[in-house]
Amino acid sequence: MKNGAFVVFRKEMARFLGDKRLFFTTVILPGLMIFLLYSVMGSSLSGMMKDSKEKHYETYVVNMPVIAGEAIENGGFNIIGITEKEAEGIKEKLKTKDADLLMVFPEDFDSSIAKYTPGSGDVSFVEIYYNSADMASSAAFNRVTLILDRVEQNISNVFDINPDEKNVSYDVATSEDATGTIFASILPMLLLMLIYSSCMAIAPESIAGEKERGTFAAMLLTPVPRGQIALGKVLALSLMALLGGISSCIGTILSMPALMGEMVESGENMSMSLSGYGAGDYVGLVIVILSTVILFITIISVLSAYAKTVKEASTLVLPVMLIVMFAGFSSMYSTEAKAEIYWYCIPILNSVQSLIGIFARSADIVHICVTVCINIAVSALGMVLLRHMFNSEKIMFAR
Amino acid sequence: MTIKEVLKVEELTKSFRLSKKQQKLENTDDRIKKAVSKLSFSAYEGEIFGLLGPNGAGKTTTLRMLATLIRPDSGDAFIDDISVVKEPEKVREKMGFLTSELKLEEFFTPNFLYDFFSDMHRIPDDIRQKRKAELFSKFGIDKFAEVKIANLSTGMKQKTSIVMSVVHDPDIIIFDEPTNGLDVITAKVVTDYLLELRSQGKTIIVSTHIFSLVEKICDRAGIIIDGEMIMCGSIHDLTKKQTLEDLFFDLYSQRKGDNV
Repeated sequence: MKNGAFVVFRKEMARFLGDKRLFFTTVILPGLMIFLLYSVMGSSLSGMMKDSKEKHYETYVVNMPVIAGEAIENGGFNIIGITEKEAEGIKEKLKTKDADLLMVFPEDFDSSIAKYTPGSGDVSFVEIYYNSADMASSAAFNRVTLILDRVEQNISNVFDINPDEKNVSYDVATSEDATGTIFASILPMLLLMLIYSSCMAIAPESIAGEKERGTFAAMLLTPVPRGQIALGKVLALSLMALLGGISSCIGTILSMPALMGEMVESGENMSMSLSGYGAGDYVGLVIVILSTVILFITIISVLSAYAKTVKEASTLVLPVMLIVMFAGFSSMYSTEAKAEIYWYCIPILNSVQSLIGIFARSADIVHICVTVCINIAVSALGMVLLRHMFNSEKIMFAR
Repeated sequence: MTIKEVLKVEELTKSFRLSKKQQKLENTDDRIKKAVSKLSFSAYEGEIFGLLGPNGAGKTTTLRMLATLIRPDSGDAFIDDISVVKEPEKVREKMGFLTSELKLEEFFTPNFLYDFFSDMHRIPDDIRQKRKAELFSKFGIDKFAEVKIANLSTGMKQKTSIVMSVVHDPDIIIFDEPTNGLDVITAKVVTDYLLELRSQGKTIIVSTHIFSLVEKICDRAGIIIDGEMIMCGSIHDLTKKQTLEDLFFDLYSQRKGDNV
């Protein structure tokens, strides 16, 4: 004799695994899409950065000073010296995007810099004309400003901070710490959103869809208690959502190198390392995610049972999506999990905080336990509500 | 020898709240519509009982209450002395229900669904296999056992639905408009099956608005108009003076005036 919940669970899984199309769209496709999307985003971003690095900007200069000339020329600028009279024509060229930059230095720039005494207030001006509507011109402006600032600093240099010459690593954070900080600020939101989307993709179809098609009533005519039907459905849907969530996570992790590659190349010295996470962190991650999936599926199941059609159910679950998004956003502004226990008693927020803790490698076992217990308790309450709804003719047979 | 009373319906009453739209359609100001009003009747072992009435008379609502899908506002019904209100799960073990509103999941095959519903009814494996072979061969489903419901013909779908409603060999079987929308051959297969079930000592409740079907297969019948049982008796008694059709129209015009 088999338990009714198990029979329903098995039927749901047979439906899911037997339908190649459904399996592809809910498990394979999300991961694949995320991987492709992020990889394309990452490579086009780094392509843009590379382009701008290699580009030589057409720069017209009036009175090029000796003091800054070499630095500017080495910075990737094609310098064309012009007279002050010709400058007006170049401004027109800037407007038509035929030139990238026009720099006008005062005639006696070098000598006035040499004569300058700090505090005298007698400063020289450099005029740089550019076109903000032209990406190349804007980039050239930003780059030349940086170079000139550096030149200015070198002239009046009094002291240096963390000089390169000493060849010392002043940032004592390990690569594990750096990874933790980045993961803690990005991954909780990303994970919750991906998991919720994957729950949204399957639960309305399974509950509101069966109601709409009239196949649910056939199950309600059997002696299996409604609570067991609810449990079987929620567990099967949770497993499917988890598979969808895992696929999304794999897609995200695989596309990380392409997405983050530019940051690494651009000299931030950022390297990712997963070696900082121990078995305990992984176990914590799995149970927090699992309890969150069950919670999401229960919430969506209740809303789907209330809805008359799949379409209505899909609309009803959207406000919860916003709540999940807001809760997820809170992780972006904090790289450390909250210490107060009440944060872990609020469903959804508790998952965000626990995930921040796990990724930042500062997870507290009590916090994780409270989170999981609260998620399971709320899901159990949801299941009781679902059983009540399955028993209600107004809800199950409403037209 | 006394005949066993398998189904006892006692003053079943059910009302529905009408929406503004429904009020307009029904041409009434009443917010509440009484679908079934103090309906009582009995059905006995080895008989086919017909519920006869026009559309909207309350036949389907009555059957849904008996099938435990909806609860009566008042009154009760007992299947083998088990209350549909108090012990619906026990009633579901003894009863099979078939209505066109209940559909089978189109993705699955008859074979899979037979096993699924057998599991839901906790039927042991050996009994299930034997019964499945019998029923599939009787209805000609064996050739389509592994074809998805979506790809079956309307007649084959209906036959499969009938089989799914009796996987647990119920004592009482409730059929709502069993031959509606079926071609004559499939309809005959269904009516023959109802007669066979009767010969096995099962109790069958059939709702229909087809007089000839009632005259042909039912032992007793009840005529429902506006949710009330107007007349109930054996077919023999009901058709003593006139045909069932004439009797029905007489009763209908007595109740509604001459607007037949």
